[in-house]
Amino acid sequence: MTARSAHRRPALHLTRFQLWLLALTTVIVAGLIAGVIVFTRGLVVTNLTDLVPWGLWITIDLSSIAMSAGAFLLCAAVYLLGLKQFQPVARTATFVGLLGYSMAVLCLLLDIGRPERFWHALVFWNPHSVLWEVTMCVTLYLAVLALETAPILGQAEWMQRRRPRLARLLSSVHHYAPYLAVVGLGLSLLHQSSLGATYGVLKARPIWYRPDLSVLFIVSAMAGGPALTALASMLAARLSKRVHIDDHLLERLSHAIGWVLVGYLYFRFWDAFAMTYTYAPGRTEGLNLLTQGPLSFNFWIGEMLLGAVVPIVILLKSNWRRNPPLRMIALALIVVGVVAYRWDTNLAGQMVVMSYLPQDITARFTTYTPSLIELISGAGIVAFGLLAFTLGVRYLNVVDHRAIEHAEEQALEPALEPTQ
Amino acid sequence: MKRLSLKRRSFLKTLGAGAAALVGMRMVGQGASSDGEPQAASPHKWAMVIDQAKCQGCGYCTLACRAHNDVAPSISWNRVISAGKVKDREIFLARPCMQCEHAPCVEVCPVGASYHRADGIVMMDYGKCIGCRYCVVACPYGARAFNWEEFTGPNPAVPMWGQPEVERRPRGVVEKCSFCYQRIDRGLEQGLKPGVDPEATPACVVACPVGARFFGDLNDPESTVSKLLADHPYYRLREDLGTSPRVYYLPTREEASS
Repeated sequence: MTARSAHRRPALHLTRFQLWLLALTTVIVAGLIAGVIVFTRGLVVTNLTDLVPWGLWITIDLSSIAMSAGAFLLCAAVYLLGLKQFQPVARTATFVGLLGYSMAVLCLLLDIGRPERFWHALVFWNPHSVLWEVTMCVTLYLAVLALETAPILGQAEWMQRRRPRLARLLSSVHHYAPYLAVVGLGLSLLHQSSLGATYGVLKARPIWYRPDLSVLFIVSAMAGGPALTALASMLAARLSKRVHIDDHLLERLSHAIGWVLVGYLYFRFWDAFAMTYTYAPGRTEGLNLLTQGPLSFNFWIGEMLLGAVVPIVILLKSNWRRNPPLRMIALALIVVGVVAYRWDTNLAGQMVVMSYLPQDITARFTTYTPSLIELISGAGIVAFGLLAFTLGVRYLNVVDHRAIEHAEEQALEPALEPTQ
Repeated sequence: MKRLSLKRRSFLKTLGAGAAALVGMRMVGQGASSDGEPQAASPHKWAMVIDQAKCQGCGYCTLACRAHNDVAPSISWNRVISAGKVKDREIFLARPCMQCEHAPCVEVCPVGASYHRADGIVMMDYGKCIGCRYCVVACPYGARAFNWEEFTGPNPAVPMWGQPEVERRPRGVVEKCSFCYQRIDRGLEQGLKPGVDPEATPACVVACPVGARFFGDLNDPESTVSKLLADHPYYRLREDLGTSPRVYYLPTREEASS
């Protein structure tokens, strides 16, 4: 700090932006330390057991992937349905998607017992495994997202100034956006649903073993993903003067999200209701955990009331939806609801321990609470996502509903010239 | 000035090259994984029969298993649990890996680290396992254990209950009972008969002091297991799941409790 500014302000005055960066960096450093402990001491530092082998990290992984669904949806809307006015939102969603998938990969690296073998599924194929399919799709889609975000980097002003040729190459990927949108749509539909099927195919876990999980996973992601993108855009615009959003555009998107949520609630109702038809060993116990047991607060308050009913009312009632603060609350609640859904689904199947004794059909229960190391490293991953988004807003202009069209034209111009 | 924009044609070429690279990776994988057992049909179909009328729940099987397979004290490949009472007599259920014919663990493993040998044994390739624990979640019998920490130091079951015959598993992979495949394979090489000669028979079967466990070849109608299953009522665990286990149980009988 220079001497001139020092006598005007207290010596260690940080701007709000710097404070935010400092807080995130602190959490990331703590998360890194926790991560090093996980890698050196092994997964014994978690509260995971052979009865509950998937916990907090898997929930963050599933949630990050769900929150990235805005990317494929909005790209499909813009480039396949021709809703061109949503192009700037698709740009933000793609960036959010890239961060979401990076977070998911980080979670998995922490979670698997042999992180140095992360590449095994690409080389040793088991096409019968849903998880193999998910791994392949996620890897390929990560590549698609990287290509889709390339123009964002190419259009950054500092990039065009310092590396003009590279910037032009990166920007030119934009011409393939329609192809990438098709590939991204296919891959996303496949693996977003397959993540539900990862649970749904397990006959040993009756609360999971049902066809609807794949449908519920994709539909909830279709609400949660765009919701996070819209929320992040609105938040960025409120916190930074250099961010310009078209509130009408986000309001229309939020309206659509409200209807997706109605569809989700419909599927979810019949899914849960069908499980009450009769007593089924394990399944009934699982439903009990959700509706009356330790997960019931999450289920009724987190998933149903705050995660679905309240945002549906706000987003479908036009004068409430047009109120930006109220709309932001609704969008944030959707995100909370989707995360709660992933957490509850993951745990409901594992907390019910099925008996294999022939005369004993009743299930036992177990519990799981994440350890401090799991919490800190998980928080580090979330902080990484927030920091990357913050920097993206600041230096890559990822939320800008104004200047985009101009930039696209610039990028498009050379390609319109005859080449031969 | 050379223009640096991608052409549609070259872009599609790149996509194609990417797809080819993926298939190529698979070739590498197949090459690397072909060092396992030959996939030719095996003349054998190994099975285990456990007589609940005889089992006293002493747990010697678990200890012998720990020693011969160098299993950590925190893990049991073979678990003995209480299974209720018949006429004041406590009944036990010893549970090794069921070696399912339709094994959920084999189906779900994303890297094919769980696989079937030609003779039906469900094997673990500890060099391939990434430790995702999907198989642990998928197994209906709780037969799989993850190495949450490294097993270091001496094995308390050694030498009292036997000597380790296989390599100790590293931290971060899933392990389970293998029907003592190493004893079967070595025995067959020496011309011994698994299920008859103790050296060629799973350690738990050999260690059982009351002779409640039997092992043998279901393809051989003269084997002990074939005869036992022909003469006795039997059941398998969670047959409703369609896993087709290769471990059969003889339920406790009236004459046994007298």
